[in-house]
Amino acid sequence: MDRSSNLNLLDEAFGFENQARVSPRVLLIEDCVETSGAFVLHHLIKRALSLDGSGVLLFVALAQPFSHYERILRKLMYNIGGNSKSVEQNVIHSYSMVYRVGGFTFSYPLASELLMVLDVHWSGCNLVTQRDNNRLFFLDMLKLVCPDGDEKHNIEGGLVELYGKIQKTVEVSALSEDSRNCITIMIDDISLMEVAANGSSNHVLDFLHYCYTLTSELGGSLVTLNHEDIYSSTLGPTPILHMEYIADIIIKAEPLATGLATDVHGQLTVVNKGIIVEHGSPRNRIRNFHFKVKENGIEYFYPGSQT
Amino acid sequence: MAESICRVLRDGALEGEHAPALTIKDSLHSAFGFDVFNYVFCQLTSNVLAGKSQARGLVLVAFNRSPSFYIDLLKSRGINASDKWIGILDCYSDPIGWKDRLLGCGSTSKLSPEARTTICKDVRDLKKLFYSILELGRGLVGQGKVRFSVAIDLVSGMLRHASLQSVAGLISNLRSHVSTFVLLVADQVSSIFGLIHSDLHEIRATSVLEYMSSMVASLEPITRSANGQRGDLENHFWLEQNSLKGKFHVRLKRRNGRVKVMCEEFHVEQAGIKFTSVSSGNGIINQSLLPKVQFNLQLSEKERVDRAKVVLPFEHQGNGKDLQIYDGRQSLTEGQNETIPVSMEKLQTEADSGKGEIHYFRDSDDELLDSDEDPDDDLDI
Amino acid sequence: MAATKSSFSRNISSTPLVQNPSLKQGSNGTVFVSSGIPDLDKILGGGFPLGSIVMVMEDAEAPHHMLLLRNFMSQGLVHNQPLFYASPSREPRAFLGTLPSPISSKDNKGLDSDSEQEKGLRIAWQYKKYFGEHQQNFENHKGNKQEYCNDFDLRKPLERQLLSKQRIDCVSTQDSPNLTHFRDRCSTFLAQLRRNDDGVACVGRIAIQSFCAPQCGYSDMEWEVLSFIRSLKSMIQSSNAVAIITFPPSVLSPSFSKRWQHLADTLLSVKAIPDEDKELAKLLTGYQDMIGLLHVHKVARINTQVPVILEATTYSIKLQKRKSLVLERLNQAPVDGSSGSSYAKSASCSGSSKGGSLDF
Repeated sequence: MDRSSNLNLLDEAFGFENQARVSPRVLLIEDCVETSGAFVLHHLIKRALSLDGSGVLLFVALAQPFSHYERILRKLMYNIGGNSKSVEQNVIHSYSMVYRVGGFTFSYPLASELLMVLDVHWSGCNLVTQRDNNRLFFLDMLKLVCPDGDEKHNIEGGLVELYGKIQKTVEVSALSEDSRNCITIMIDDISLMEVAANGSSNHVLDFLHYCYTLTSELGGSLVTLNHEDIYSSTLGPTPILHMEYIADIIIKAEPLATGLATDVHGQLTVVNKGIIVEHGSPRNRIRNFHFKVKENGIEYFYPGSQT
Repeated sequence: MAESICRVLRDGALEGEHAPALTIKDSLHSAFGFDVFNYVFCQLTSNVLAGKSQARGLVLVAFNRSPSFYIDLLKSRGINASDKWIGILDCYSDPIGWKDRLLGCGSTSKLSPEARTTICKDVRDLKKLFYSILELGRGLVGQGKVRFSVAIDLVSGMLRHASLQSVAGLISNLRSHVSTFVLLVADQVSSIFGLIHSDLHEIRATSVLEYMSSMVASLEPITRSANGQRGDLENHFWLEQNSLKGKFHVRLKRRNGRVKVMCEEFHVEQAGIKFTSVSSGNGIINQSLLPKVQFNLQLSEKERVDRAKVVLPFEHQGNGKDLQIYDGRQSLTEGQNETIPVSMEKLQTEADSGKGEIHYFRDSDDELLDSDEDPDDDLDI
Repeated sequence: MAATKSSFSRNISSTPLVQNPSLKQGSNGTVFVSSGIPDLDKILGGGFPLGSIVMVMEDAEAPHHMLLLRNFMSQGLVHNQPLFYASPSREPRAFLGTLPSPISSKDNKGLDSDSEQEKGLRIAWQYKKYFGEHQQNFENHKGNKQEYCNDFDLRKPLERQLLSKQRIDCVSTQDSPNLTHFRDRCSTFLAQLRRNDDGVACVGRIAIQSFCAPQCGYSDMEWEVLSFIRSLKSMIQSSNAVAIITFPPSVLSPSFSKRWQHLADTLLSVKAIPDEDKELAKLLTGYQDMIGLLHVHKVARINTQVPVILEATTYSIKLQKRKSLVLERLNQAPVDGSSGSSYAKSASCSGSSKGGSLDF
């Protein structure tokens, strides 16, 4: 009940409440030290993977290891597909089993290679299964460092190599299935890519441009996260401005002016640059609402309307 | 007035002169520059197709969107892009040659350029880019006196990869009649226009481009935000107000040395951008200009009286009587609403002076209403 | 208390893999190690999670970050955990001589009851909350020498034998012109702590003091330093280790300081407290005992997306009986209604201690 009415506030702001499929676009999530925007990323992972079995997600991880996302998504995913009660109970059952078993095991092998398969299958709907089914391609780039030689060439070379991996993956999955419309590339932290590129944000922008050419060609989405407060003290042009120009939708997570509270974790501002026509007239393009992050989903509500 | 800039682009360059150049300038506060670019692009396209423009072809340098995007855009306006009038230089698909580099490393997808498209694999080499543009253009119109227009969809993209100086050099070479690269005569560019996101660059970059171009169209939000800096997203009301509309300022450097300033409002709709004129705008700018004049343009009361007393030789026939001369222009001046304030002032005080019999104006108001057809237009400064 | 007890013991029984008393099972498959300050463990919901980076933003005027470092290091040594320590001083090993010694269980109990009598109701609230748990901790490990978290006597140096028993790597960050050597040392240290499926065999601690201080050879190589922290983070993420890094944010540019803060899993800052400030003395109870303030900016969010919302984010650092470190929520002194101005001030102060930052 919660989820059908509340999750839609974000989806509505994205403008995809009517379409099952995500239209090609670029999403930029901006957050700050006080309020992390990673939960929007998790929501989008879930969305990308739950699209009637045809979406393909390519995840470039620079901030967190596979085990982190896997665990979070497992908790999010059990909400999916619970139409009939028995199914839901089943899912919950397996989920709680998983949870407890998972709770005991705290040493995870690090997913360090593309398509590496963990030998444990927790439940029907999790990232491991999705990875086995070639719907999720998880690129672990936690250790990505573009060689910091004197030559500019090296930094570029490192990013070209990463792009090459992405392009290859996209090509393979685009050839094998008719999932062309639903390919999503996600990068979980652009600021860390800048660190990997030794501060050469121009190369990072080039990299993003190339990713963008891939997704726009195939009608997919490009989702990135960056930290807005890093750049706010810099005068003049910053890389995040470039990203804002490319983005179709900007999602900004901020703390409330009054600080964090137990029932409101922050506010989201969603700026949708595309024109959404609803009942014949263009709709509000800017939404602002509060949110509360929970393990199995996020509650969205307008200020004051919380019950 | 958005049409007037399209008209200038349509009319193109005069023999031996710089081709008109339009810079469209926007910022994140009002980021609809691309809509304006598309508007101008489509207008010029239809002019080219109708044979109304000086240019017989158009070269599009695509940084921002893929060639297929533009072909679809034209298609949506009912224009078939397969004809031999458009050439696209694709700086979007593989701007710095990464895809090309990966080809050697087992990548399977080879870029297959669409019809009338050339892929540029190193946008950092502006010399090569310049030749590619010329080559594409000549491919459309042939060598000779026939001209073509050049559209650069994102000069910012070019500036990210090349120095400001070399970009300025490229634009200047495209506009001018003699290329400094070689003695190849590039006297074939009819007009050129491009978009720049002003907040992505230092102020210098924008001013250089403004200096280089004969027209500058800038997009601004309807109301300025209080702090004017980044972090405006907090101000939702302000954002909402400017979310689909803004102000459109045009500064048109005329050949006679004057600057024509125009202001319009625009609305972005699903079908494209729409312009509506605003009543105020001109007056404000003129007033801000006038006080800067250092010397005295107006006559003092005494001077005016004295002047009125003077009887010019051809105004009397020697019999000492004043001569009434019918001034056919009087009605014209009264109906004029664009009279510059100076002459306005003069008219009023003369009526007040009591004498008021002679309403003769020497050839002082030769500035006609329709300043589009400027008699000084052939005066090249 | 009975309820607390039962839930706590169930938690213990359901964690067969954590037999090591120096570890504590957290939610979402995380494992905590103690910070060496019992109150800080409570505040953070158990301690520092394995695989995380803790950053402490130093106050340019006060060395409170050293207190955190010392207790963190001592606790590790008491638990026989390998330690890696880096500091910008020329002789980092000398710092080990200043590490505090744990107060034995017996002493501790005496201290607790002492203090309770001494301080009476004022600190009772704090103990009510978790005294039982404490008690239980001690009871559980009565036979065992080790406790999850010790109280440390800041005046008493750590026994020599503890220093020689464990592997302790010390590195001076002052001399090396670049970070390659430092990085190699870290990765050698962490190589022994790599995670595997057999559970946690060995846990290590890394303490880096005043990283990027001006006297370091690479202090102006901001991108390289960031890159180092990032690679340290990725190494930690795959090891059974915790790293604590203190740094002076004032010597970094604002943009880089923010980047550092984003890289931290747990982010703390310490602040000096103005001396003999009459206004503050009026506002805060126990002002006389306070030596500084601790601010919690971010609590590690590993394997979860839910943020930890603390009841309070600013705590006072106090020395109890002049030897052991305690953290207390800022308590607002009762205000007499006659002075209107101070009332308004205290109101705003209490508000910010709940949610926002308390700037002094």
